[in-house]
Amino acid sequence: MLPENITLVVGRNERWTGAAATEPFEAGWAREAIIFIRALKEPKGEQPVARVEISPDGMRWAAEGTEAPMPSRKDGIAVLRVKHFGNWLRVAADYPSGSESTVLVTVHLKA
Amino acid sequence: MTSTVPTNDLTEAMRLAILRSDPKLSRFDPLPRIISHDSFSTGHCGWSQLVGNYENDLDTMLPGYAQHTSAMLSTLPHWDSGSHGGMGSSYALKIATRPRKGAQNVAIKRHTFRHRGRIRFEIYFTFKPEATELKLSETDVRSVGFLFDLQSGDQDADGQRVMPHLRFLNALDGEHLQKWQFKRRTTELKPIGNSDKTLSHYHLSPEDWEDLPGGAQRLCYNEIPTKINWTYLAFDFDLEEMKALSFRCNDRTFDMSGFESIRIPAMKNLWCMLNFCLFAETDTDKRAFLYVDSVCISGDF
Repeated sequence: MLPENITLVVGRNERWTGAAATEPFEAGWAREAIIFIRALKEPKGEQPVARVEISPDGMRWAAEGTEAPMPSRKDGIAVLRVKHFGNWLRVAADYPSGSESTVLVTVHLKA
Repeated sequence: MTSTVPTNDLTEAMRLAILRSDPKLSRFDPLPRIISHDSFSTGHCGWSQLVGNYENDLDTMLPGYAQHTSAMLSTLPHWDSGSHGGMGSSYALKIATRPRKGAQNVAIKRHTFRHRGRIRFEIYFTFKPEATELKLSETDVRSVGFLFDLQSGDQDADGQRVMPHLRFLNALDGEHLQKWQFKRRTTELKPIGNSDKTLSHYHLSPEDWEDLPGGAQRLCYNEIPTKINWTYLAFDFDLEEMKALSFRCNDRTFDMSGFESIRIPAMKNLWCMLNFCLFAETDTDKRAFLYVDSVCISGDF
């Protein structure tokens, strides 16, 4: 049997401001994950660094260490790759006051 | 169209013997033809995110659909007790809402039908809220349910799109109601964009749910938010008459004579559509989780 792989859309057309994060997702079956964050609209203001977060329970989060600058223009894409994450994953970014981005966040998981 | 396979007592006995010797299928009561059998240790099995219609700009999507996210493969992991696992493997399909009162999420499996007759939809499922509090939380999940999205064939006179809906209304505004409900009305069809090609309606809006007569049922919820028990459900529907035939949940069989589906005129491109949806709704600012261990969809053909 071919190894499982799946593309999940975990945030679509979401306006990120302040302390932003995707909904948590479970990916314990996967050995690797690549997360793409595309700016669907022209971002406003200073763009923060996005970070991958892991969790023991899907409720409490810790930085995993992988980071990437959020796209600074429309259709720009940030890429985050992780290979050692247990079960829970999410992506988070902290926006300074007055800045924002409308994003499409897709996760590509492979067993 | 009639069945292509002759049946008699012997062939039926053989079918049942083979079925019941298979531990994965034996827990189901499928009709003679298995259309799909989904066990989530083998992947998502086609249960994808129900995305709303749009044209030119995602902002045109109705808000009810915009909130949806992808279903996950879950081991039902809990902070206090670890992975619960499924019935026959470590994995179940998980449909999670956002943590906002009234939020919904829907997973969909899209087919078309080749035979107009009886179909059967069987699942083993359970539901819980996210365990953010050390409380029973039995009224935090508003509902879990399923629906079919069907449309007649392209040569049919007076074609219809037919959408039977059933939900287990667990709680509403904190009141523990525990009853099955159906829907015969939907929201108005709204044009999406300006090309006159795309319409959308949010058929899972909170309005217009009606109690299924005799549909009160107390399901096994268990004693803390991280203990779950699997529940069996089977719904039979006739694609010839576009009518619900029977509904069972665990040890209860419900009278479906008072049940009706949403019926709207046929749409331009959906002929012979046979879609299945599973959904969850939360009654608090806490995520609601619908877990599905396995699904068997079968037909009498």
